[in-house]
Amino acid sequence: MFNRKALMFGYSNTTKFLAENLTKELHYLVIIVDDEESYQEAKKAGYRVKLLDITDDNALEELDVAEDDYLICVMKDHYINVFLTLSLHALFPKTTIIALSESYHATQKLKMAGATRIIDLYQVSANRIHNILTKPVATKLIERLFSPEEDFSFKEMLIPENSILDTVMADDFDFSKHGIILVGMIDKRLSNQFIFITSGLENRFDAGDTLVCIGYNDDLNKFEEYIKGKENAES
Amino acid sequence: MLKELFIQYAFFLHGSKRYKNIKTTAYNFLLNSDYEYKKYFDIFMISLIVVSIAILVYEVKNSVADWVDFFDIYLVTAIFLMEYIARVWVHNDWHKQVVKEVGEAEFLNRRVSLWRPTKETLKGKLRYLLTPTAIIDLLAILPAYRPLRVLRIFVLFRVFKLLRYTKSINQFLSVLASKKFELFTLLFLLVFITVTAGIAIYVFEQNENENIESIFDALYWALITISTVGYGDISPVTPEGRVVSMMIIVSGIAMISFVTSVIVSSFSEKLDELKENRIIEELNKKDEFMIICGYGQMTRMFLRYYAKEYTNRYIVIENDKDKVDEAIKEGYKAIHEDASRHDVIKRFNLQYSNITLLALTGNDIANIYITLNAKSLSRKIKVIARARTEKMVKKYQLAGADSIVRPNIIADRMLYTAITQPVMYKAIYAILTGKNMALLDEVNLSQSELLVGKTIEELEFKKQKLLCIGLQRAGEEGEFIFNPPAKTILEESDILLVMGRKVSIEYFRSIYRKVKYV
Repeated sequence: MFNRKALMFGYSNTTKFLAENLTKELHYLVIIVDDEESYQEAKKAGYRVKLLDITDDNALEELDVAEDDYLICVMKDHYINVFLTLSLHALFPKTTIIALSESYHATQKLKMAGATRIIDLYQVSANRIHNILTKPVATKLIERLFSPEEDFSFKEMLIPENSILDTVMADDFDFSKHGIILVGMIDKRLSNQFIFITSGLENRFDAGDTLVCIGYNDDLNKFEEYIKGKENAES
Repeated sequence: MLKELFIQYAFFLHGSKRYKNIKTTAYNFLLNSDYEYKKYFDIFMISLIVVSIAILVYEVKNSVADWVDFFDIYLVTAIFLMEYIARVWVHNDWHKQVVKEVGEAEFLNRRVSLWRPTKETLKGKLRYLLTPTAIIDLLAILPAYRPLRVLRIFVLFRVFKLLRYTKSINQFLSVLASKKFELFTLLFLLVFITVTAGIAIYVFEQNENENIESIFDALYWALITISTVGYGDISPVTPEGRVVSMMIIVSGIAMISFVTSVIVSSFSEKLDELKENRIIEELNKKDEFMIICGYGQMTRMFLRYYAKEYTNRYIVIENDKDKVDEAIKEGYKAIHEDASRHDVIKRFNLQYSNITLLALTGNDIANIYITLNAKSLSRKIKVIARARTEKMVKKYQLAGADSIVRPNIIADRMLYTAITQPVMYKAIYAILTGKNMALLDEVNLSQSELLVGKTIEELEFKKQKLLCIGLQRAGEEGEFIFNPPAKTILEESDILLVMGRKVSIEYFRSIYRKVKYV
């Protein structure tokens, strides 16, 4: 569980999906709506909900937002969504703002308004269609990776202090023995950027690096436990 | 006994794949405008016609070499004759009629008649022989009969034969045919005015004008005048005759204006249809193409990112004219039609092309109907449909959709990943959008002898800076092996799933040149 909060603006199927799935991941999650009907509906559904005028900066300023929290803008009206993103970015410039867009033009505006990540509903779908047409096998795999109900996924793992992976060269470690594939990592020594393992750089694992692996959930969990160990890493 | 032999022969033809292939090929070359190579046959025939006419014109004042005569008389005519016979042959099938007759006779417990199917086949062929195009084909062969020099003029029918091979002339005629009523009315008016004016001038001037000696002269004058040509060889000399002249000239101008406006308006009405037909015809010649139904947000986004990859291999069908105009303005190929209509989808080459249909309208009911419509016409059409809600997915599956895209579900999962696994969100996004640094590609082994039989270990993915993510075994229900073990042997029709930089994949491709990328 992350020691982070998420504030979701708007009440829709997306909000419900996120609220249901994020409860396990975040320690605090609140839905913020600007109309009484949505407020009552969300409250009835058992969610933590707050009613406020989101066009009012004073009301927004009073929200308890930390730098590493998430502000999620999924308002139905894209004009309000863009305006809200802009207001939140002005008030909390260092906080991650994730916004949902329903058109190419709205995506451009959200970018300019300061959204950190924008998920364009139609762009991801267009990509999906293209992938179905050109890479059907790969698309099926990606669908499995994204589906929370599947036993197969991506996982981020932080290499702890004194891990068996500490100071081991990436090329010298056989991940396939653990039934998983290392896709990439954040090598703290080089930069804070994500590097694909196929990029050709010689990476060394150090404590504090983050690994991104694909595999069956059981194997991924076992491996996460395994790298906490202090034995010598196999080659 | 002989009857039995004929029946056996008919059944032999019916079951012969070779015969069927030959006839289908002949049909494709002669009649199937969707056939990729038909245009070469058409160009060849047009060239023969042009050469033949050129020889006729040249021969008027010059003598030609014997070989040119031989070429014109025997070779060109022989080709035309073969084409004529082939067209009669492919028009219908005698063996099919015989097989049908045998089936019916057995069912009704009556004697098999060989005459009935033969008569039906001959009737069909005769009907074809009496069509204008078949008559033109026949007349185009006649000039070869040298004893009758007068038949040389039938070479001109070879010009008419061009109609078969040039779509633009056919289209012009079809546009005129659509205004048949208006044009016949004007023709009737023209005949009426010409005859009336001809009689009037004959009555007024027959004794006064030495150039008008008969009613034919008068009618000739009336037609020349009404058409505003006015040669001047006959002109009125009496005041009455001049009044008739003035009236007929005014009528002529009005008539020409009417005819011009009728033709122009029919063209402007049909212009969109002609353009649409041309787009569909071009598309039908492709081995594979895509029909995108609806021009909404998703289609716009899809075309914005991928139109270049599918250049000349897609068409948008939209039933809102404004949206069609918008799509055309954006530079996309779009037609104004209703994709849920049977006859609209039927216009595409369902038999020979691999068609993918994207049902992307914003309405689930319309998308399901479009899916059903396409699947009812051909199970071969691959349908990718957009579903607005989860509840609709089952219905799309029942309708036969091959893949269902749910924009909201995809976006929700992306949002979830962006929150829970922010570090790798970018990585996943790169993989999904096919960025150069992390391409997820498929390597199809179906046509590669170089990869078949090798083990995963032998391919040295690590050395080539590639990741072997998985292996899809052959067949729709084939097993997917994630992270295949090193000793796994690759089989024919397997699909390898690899990830890496574009350059690494290109290199892999260069090593195994016969590798086919999907």
